Amino acid sequence: MSDMPELPPPLATPRAGVAAAVGSRLAALLLGAACIAWTATPALHSGLAKTALVVAIVAVTAGALRLATADIPQPEDSFFRPGYVQAWLTFLALLRTLAWEETAAVALLWLEVQHTSRPWHTAALGAGLLAYLLTTHIAESGTDAGPLLRRQAGVLAAGACLLALGAGFAMIPAAAPGAGSAILRVLAAAAVIAAAALVLPG
Amino acid sequence: MIIPNGGSLPRPRGDSPAAAPAASLGASSQARAEEIAVTWRPSRHARRLLTLAAAALLLAVLTRNAALAGVAGPPALLLGMARAGAARGSDRGPGRPARVSVRIGLTAARLYEGEPAAVDVTVQERDGQDPADPAAAAGQPGPAGPGWRLDARHGARWTLEPGSGIEPGSATAVNGSAARFTFAVSRWGKRALGTVTLTLHDRWRLAEGRVTFTLPSVDCYPSPAVQRTRVVLSKLPNRLGEHRARVPGDGTEFTGVREFVPGDRQRAINWPASTRRGRLQVNTFAAERSQDVVLLVDATSDVGKPGESALDLGLRGAAGAARAYLDARDRVGVITYQWGGAHWLAPSLGRRQVYKIIDVLLTADTGYARGAVFGRLPRAALPPGSLVVAFSPLLDGRFVEALRDMRERGVALIVVDVLNADPPARRLFADVAARRIWRMEQDAIRFSLRELGVPVVPWDGVTTLDLPLAPYTRRPLVTRR
Repeated sequence: MSDMPELPPPLATPRAGVAAAVGSRLAALLLGAACIAWTATPALHSGLAKTALVVAIVAVTAGALRLATADIPQPEDSFFRPGYVQAWLTFLALLRTLAWEETAAVALLWLEVQHTSRPWHTAALGAGLLAYLLTTHIAESGTDAGPLLRRQAGVLAAGACLLALGAGFAMIPAAAPGAGSAILRVLAAAAVIAAAALVLPG
Repeated sequence: MIIPNGGSLPRPRGDSPAAAPAASLGASSQARAEEIAVTWRPSRHARRLLTLAAAALLLAVLTRNAALAGVAGPPALLLGMARAGAARGSDRGPGRPARVSVRIGLTAARLYEGEPAAVDVTVQERDGQDPADPAAAAGQPGPAGPGWRLDARHGARWTLEPGSGIEPGSATAVNGSAARFTFAVSRWGKRALGTVTLTLHDRWRLAEGRVTFTLPSVDCYPSPAVQRTRVVLSKLPNRLGEHRARVPGDGTEFTGVREFVPGDRQRAINWPASTRRGRLQVNTFAAERSQDVVLLVDATSDVGKPGESALDLGLRGAAGAARAYLDARDRVGVITYQWGGAHWLAPSLGRRQVYKIIDVLLTADTGYARGAVFGRLPRAALPPGSLVVAFSPLLDGRFVEALRDMRERGVALIVVDVLNADPPARRLFADVAARRIWRMEQDAIRFSLRELGVPVVPWDGVTTLDLPLAPYTRRPLVTRR
């Protein structure tokens, strides 16, 4: 029986840990709300746009609730419990099972598509969505945001360039009328992304 | 309170220290170390990025919008980087370890009810080698030697799933290559601590490796009741001890003066008395003897709320009594009376006997065994002239018969009644009548035992055992056949 190695000293005080956890969860909620507001303006009154907006709002709210209730333990057994406790546990299970963030991202993209083409607006939405997903991951894994972002800074910068390139491709006037030139622009943007992924070191 | 190996006797219930912070629980001893294979799969974050990239590309093609293809760029780039770079360890980031070495340590493998303890978990990469590493394939040691710490960039996260009856005292999710989870066990018994899940991430946080392992079990002892006084028999066996006997002997307690006879010690002469009476007088002293005490625990019925049930009280009372009598150098044994038969431990002396007794108590099982029979208690467990202290709710008729049988055999017996629950109260006439009949039957059982000369004292488990036993600890217990 040998003694275990000593535990590393805590990196931060518990208060700082709680503040960081609350901060990252709040940041995820605010980024989701900002993405919704950014995409929804100017307001559209078509049925598909309204549906996409409602779905996005519900998904972002549910995602924020999931993060807020992440620390509530699930009891081992749920037999012989009062109805309201059973309902609460079912609600928690629903929050934790469904993919709310993916739903929100797809709904926001669909809402963006409903508007007329606005390349720089779409590029900003892409940056916002990526930030929303990254913040959600930081909040749910409890990881330290600084080192993580420093490690991924190069790729994120390259991604920002790709966003700008995509917006730039969309703004190039068509060489010829018809769908062919538009498809070509999309393919060119995709090719640039693929080339960047191949060139950048792992 | 932690029971040291061969250390001091356990402190009684109520003296337990307040919940202590994790650091004050001291270093842990290694309980287990094992190598576990890590299963890697895409993380939730990766699935989200994949959804975003796929949806953006699909919409870009459908709507012929190149800006949407740009939206797919950053997530696709991250996924591509992770795919290309995560499999190999480089100077810019660690690879994915295929196996890790996990060490588990406990601050105490045996503890009392409600006592805080901690489990330490540490993860290391297996010998610092990666199967994909050519150096490892050649049999050379890893870059940091055997047992190097896991790279901090793996972002290890521990999640505790506490077992049944385990109350976590700290956060159940901790980041880092080592973690300490504090816990307490609310009720006696052998308890599985639960499982711990270790989640590792790659540099890009897009693949996660999960390892789940089972924590060891701990023995939770019933908290001993407080007992400072002791019941002493009027007739004690002829064995040196600490109790004052009624017969003269070589003890230290003065009992009287008698005339000197040849052979008496000169130092025992009482000179003032000799001067007054004109003849030599010597002092006489009481003998000091020890007694045999057998603790009898009725485990045939366990009624009441968990944690405060009759069996809980019985075990706590027996543990407290064992401690009290062993402190007085008495020989103490134990018998647990249960459906599967009786478990017993012959009376003996010493501190180690406390732990042996508690280990026997932990085997108490209230489970019904079909066809189980028990008649008389084992004779070897009941030395002649011993004091028997029984802890029972007196609900099982056969146990009551066994008590009567012991009394008829001349055993000195005292019963601590640990029944602290009533049948559920309902307003129906039949229920009220049944409850009243049950109560009368219980009173009759206790009355019949008292008529046989068996004291029955109720104990609620909250007060000390000294209070109900006070009438019998003030003077020696006289046993008549």
